[in-house]
Amino acid sequence: MTAMKWFYSFLKKHNRSMALGIVIVTVISILAIVKPIVSGSIVDDVITGGNYDLLPKLIALLVIITILRGTLRYWSQVIFETCSQDVLFSMRDTVYRKLLQEDFNFYNKKRTGDLLSRQTGDMDAIRHFIAFVIYQVYENVFLFFFALIMIFTVSWKLALCMCAVLPFSLMVTLSQTREGRPRFQRIREQFSSLNTFVQENVSGNRVVKAFSKEDYEIGKFNKENDGYRDAELAAAEIWTKYVPKFEFLSNMLTVILMLVGSIMVIQGSMTLGNYVTINGYLWMLMNPLRQIGWRINDVQRFTTSVEKIYATYSEEPKVKYPAKPIPCKKLKGDIEFRNVSYSADDEAIIHNVSFKVKSGQTVGILGSTGSGKSTIMNLLCRFYDVTDGEVLVDGRNVKDLDLYNLRQNIGMAMQDVFLFSDTVEGNIAYSRPDCPFEAVQKAAVMADADNFIREMPDGYDTIVGERGVGLSGGQKQRISLARALLKEPSILILDDTTSAVDMETESYIQQQLNNIDRACTIFVVAYRISSIKDSDLILVLNDGKIVEQGTHDELLKNNGYYATVFRHQYGEFEKYVDEINQNNKGGEKYGSK
Amino acid sequence: MARNKYDIDEVIEDKFDFGQLKRVFQYVKPYRGQLAFALFLMLSASALTMLFPMFISEIMDTYIPAGNIRAIVTITLISLVIVLYTCVCIRLKIRITSRIGQAIVHQLRSDIFCHLQELPFSYYDDRPHGKIQVRVVNYVNSLSDLLSNGIINTITDMCNLIFILIFMLLLHVRLTLICLCGLPVLFAVIVFVKRRQRRAWQIQSNKQSNLTAYIAESINGIRVTQSFVRERENTSIFNHLSDSYRSAWMRAVKYNFIMWPCIDSISTVTTAFIYVIGIGWISGEIYGVTVGILIAFTSYISRFWEPINTLASFYNSLLTAIAYLERIFETIDEPVNVKDTEDAVLMPPIDGKVEFEDVCFSYEDGVQILNKVNFAANPGDTYAIVGPTGAGKSTIVNLISRFYNVDSGRILIDGTDISGVTLKSLRKQMGIMMQDSFIFSGTIMDNIRYGNLTATDEEVIAAAKTVCAHDFIMEMENGYQTQVNERGSRLSAGQRQLISFARALLENPAILILDEATSSIDTETEILLQKGLNRLLEGRTSFIIAHRLSTIKNANCIMYVDKGNILEAGTHDELLALKGEYYKLFMSQYDFLAGKTE
Repeated sequence: MTAMKWFYSFLKKHNRSMALGIVIVTVISILAIVKPIVSGSIVDDVITGGNYDLLPKLIALLVIITILRGTLRYWSQVIFETCSQDVLFSMRDTVYRKLLQEDFNFYNKKRTGDLLSRQTGDMDAIRHFIAFVIYQVYENVFLFFFALIMIFTVSWKLALCMCAVLPFSLMVTLSQTREGRPRFQRIREQFSSLNTFVQENVSGNRVVKAFSKEDYEIGKFNKENDGYRDAELAAAEIWTKYVPKFEFLSNMLTVILMLVGSIMVIQGSMTLGNYVTINGYLWMLMNPLRQIGWRINDVQRFTTSVEKIYATYSEEPKVKYPAKPIPCKKLKGDIEFRNVSYSADDEAIIHNVSFKVKSGQTVGILGSTGSGKSTIMNLLCRFYDVTDGEVLVDGRNVKDLDLYNLRQNIGMAMQDVFLFSDTVEGNIAYSRPDCPFEAVQKAAVMADADNFIREMPDGYDTIVGERGVGLSGGQKQRISLARALLKEPSILILDDTTSAVDMETESYIQQQLNNIDRACTIFVVAYRISSIKDSDLILVLNDGKIVEQGTHDELLKNNGYYATVFRHQYGEFEKYVDEINQNNKGGEKYGSK
Repeated sequence: MARNKYDIDEVIEDKFDFGQLKRVFQYVKPYRGQLAFALFLMLSASALTMLFPMFISEIMDTYIPAGNIRAIVTITLISLVIVLYTCVCIRLKIRITSRIGQAIVHQLRSDIFCHLQELPFSYYDDRPHGKIQVRVVNYVNSLSDLLSNGIINTITDMCNLIFILIFMLLLHVRLTLICLCGLPVLFAVIVFVKRRQRRAWQIQSNKQSNLTAYIAESINGIRVTQSFVRERENTSIFNHLSDSYRSAWMRAVKYNFIMWPCIDSISTVTTAFIYVIGIGWISGEIYGVTVGILIAFTSYISRFWEPINTLASFYNSLLTAIAYLERIFETIDEPVNVKDTEDAVLMPPIDGKVEFEDVCFSYEDGVQILNKVNFAANPGDTYAIVGPTGAGKSTIVNLISRFYNVDSGRILIDGTDISGVTLKSLRKQMGIMMQDSFIFSGTIMDNIRYGNLTATDEEVIAAAKTVCAHDFIMEMENGYQTQVNERGSRLSAGQRQLISFARALLENPAILILDEATSSIDTETEILLQKGLNRLLEGRTSFIIAHRLSTIKNANCIMYVDKGNILEAGTHDELLALKGEYYKLFMSQYDFLAGKTE
């Protein structure tokens, strides 16, 4: 399918309205032709001819025509505008849905500003085309050919002479189209680029200020700003060049009439009356010619935008919804990775990973930065598809499961906490927007977030900034955890979720997780031994491979990476253990609240 | 102001502020010379093209009956010259107006962007980022045509209108007055519609802003959306916003559509009156109306209403633009709280002594975050700040870089009150690494070099090696030239932290602030990192906020912060001996081990 066909598939639904609009525009054009005739008749017959009886009729006609034309014009504009808004609405909807389906690979490569441009600036070019350009072009073409035919019937010789401008117009049209195209593409690209730059500057405002790089950012912005201006000016050069050419061609019609027409009258091959008539039609030929340059401009803006939008739309996600999905409303949470490998852009990220977890078990994952811990979790949720091997949930390959059911069963608190600019309640209830407040609060209590939320100015109704920028790292992580808990998932993934919370809070959260009163398989990705030491299975990853696996005690005996990390974190343990025991005997326990 | 989100409309100004228009003209002012030139071109061209009808009637009335082909050829040649002149004028006019239009938009965008750079965090925290973005990009764009072509066309039309009015008055005063009777009716219509029309466009701009904000957030939060299977719900919210935008647009645009039929009807009715009255006067032989005068007069009438029509469409787009302009100026007018004082001096090279004297601070009135905080940090020492979440740890370090102004008290660096120095000279000497490690789209090299733009590739690599990022960077497909984007494509959170760490180091700061900067870095790497850092930290004062005790244990001083104050301060051993809050915090880490030994 080409971009234009794709566009037409939206417009097609409004064929009837568009057709009605075109019919109305035809009537308007005819009225535009008739109105000067009536006025002419008033001047000729009534004022000059003295036939005063005609006046009331003609004036009534004039007023009727005017009111009719005004009403019809309003009606047609509303029709076209409605069509364009409806097309835009469904186009935005289609593109939005597609964006929601795209996988992480797509988003890893796309810039937010580019995607945003597709949904805003590019859509606007389409709106303008449907609401304005289509009927303008039609009206002009209609008037032009109507006038041309009328002139032919009056004097075909003069008409032929006037047609001499047509080949030139065609040539100029073609060369403008050819020259304009790359420049309009450049505008769209510069627009995207500007949009991306501004978007990143706004999102990264903290870094900009922290590094005191305002001037540098302004310098970069100036480049973008200049770039966009230059692209617009480069396109403006095109119409600077071509609009006068069409103006010239259109005025040539008057010149032809002056010269050829007059000579024909003098030589007797045309009457003076014919000359006057043709002069009356001339504006209908000239106006459309004059406007060609501008309309080409509009059309090119439109086609470039449609192509841009379609290019984004037509990218197919690699993670596909299965053809025959196995429904799985409620999964048990048995998980197996069987010889799983994953690579992206020829770079191997996960090699031959195998492990097995039973429903209700807890798995701790430890490993160095960038060893592939999060990727394993992403493979489980099918944010990426494995390149080799298979991921099984409840004994079924995740590729065969209903994708949405699968994800519904997994509660994930991500490493990089993203909160929406919404209320705290709205953020926690993200998966279940209409769940009762009590459930939200319960989840918040479990994540030890309830206390600080209630201390906020509007409690649960406090709006948090985009990405939760107003909150501390620990607060964000706890809200994100509450959000995952509210899903009541069969599989819970905590991807480095407690790195920014203090120890007391962490152990409280762990107790809460242990007390979950249903089978829930939990994955804990962490750097702190304290977060994972009680797990039924601990996986140690290095460079995308599992290098150690077992329980805390087994791994300590193993004396490998895990034991080393343990010693780093708890090297001084011996020194304090007696004191701690004494304290505990004293009945004081710090982890509890 | 309360925080804004995607489905909350921004406040709409009720009154039409003519000050806004004045400000717009400030932007146009530098180009008035060029505008005047373009105007002259257009007026001369349109005056000359007005000759064409005269030429034709001359040809018809005189030369054709006389068979004077020579004269006809002469007139044709003159016309050709006029046509060529007109084309040149149009060409120049288009060039001038598009340059001016783009220049104004360029300036406006630059002003809003530069101002945004000065606005505090809270401005960004208080609204969806898409709403800021739409102002800088989309709103500004929609003004270019209005501020160049719009102005020229308006002035041209006004001139035309005046010329025609003069001609009409010269021809017949009374008939002209009748014709002018239509104008009050038109004004009545405009005044009647204006309030609603303006409101409708304001609403439309709000809805557009909401929609853009939601799209932007949907893209940024896509991972969460997919993992929480919120696609359906989001689509319905999106369609709801999209629909409000559609209806707001339709409502607003309908007001614009009304204008033309109104003017057309008024003009026809007045013309009809002229016919009736004119003919009446001719037959009554009063006021000296002749057939010739009436015919000439009627031909002027249509020319009189034509410019009014274009003026009205300019007025329409002006109302649309004002709705955008208000938003743009609102951003430009947003007060900057943290800025250089008028007599601000450059911060001399920092030695590293940091003092807080009775510092009080609150983000919002009545919610005290810091309450009379006092401490003095010695140059070159490392200070760890610990305490429960929300205790005010980040606030303390943010105040050192003067991201916020203190409510009362003073912060001194090397004895200089930081409120009296320029922000740039202060922050340039600080390396700050925040909780959010933001990665810009570009290469890894560019991202690290952000800390010091003049750094050579070798220096960048050296910084990366210090923070143990070199190895993983080299493993990537294009090493330092690997393209990454804002969402950090394929970089893990830990890797992103290492990159922003390298970025902070490259700045070669005198004071280093690490705000939970290493929370996602594994212990092994962290130990290596610390070895490298210990060397680097020599001679620099550093403040570290962290939860992992291994990170903070070796600090020269640990400050335990809670409830807006420093409760305990001292070395690790001192604080443990104190058996206070830090001791409890420390012990809680070992609780589970103790549990095992029981």
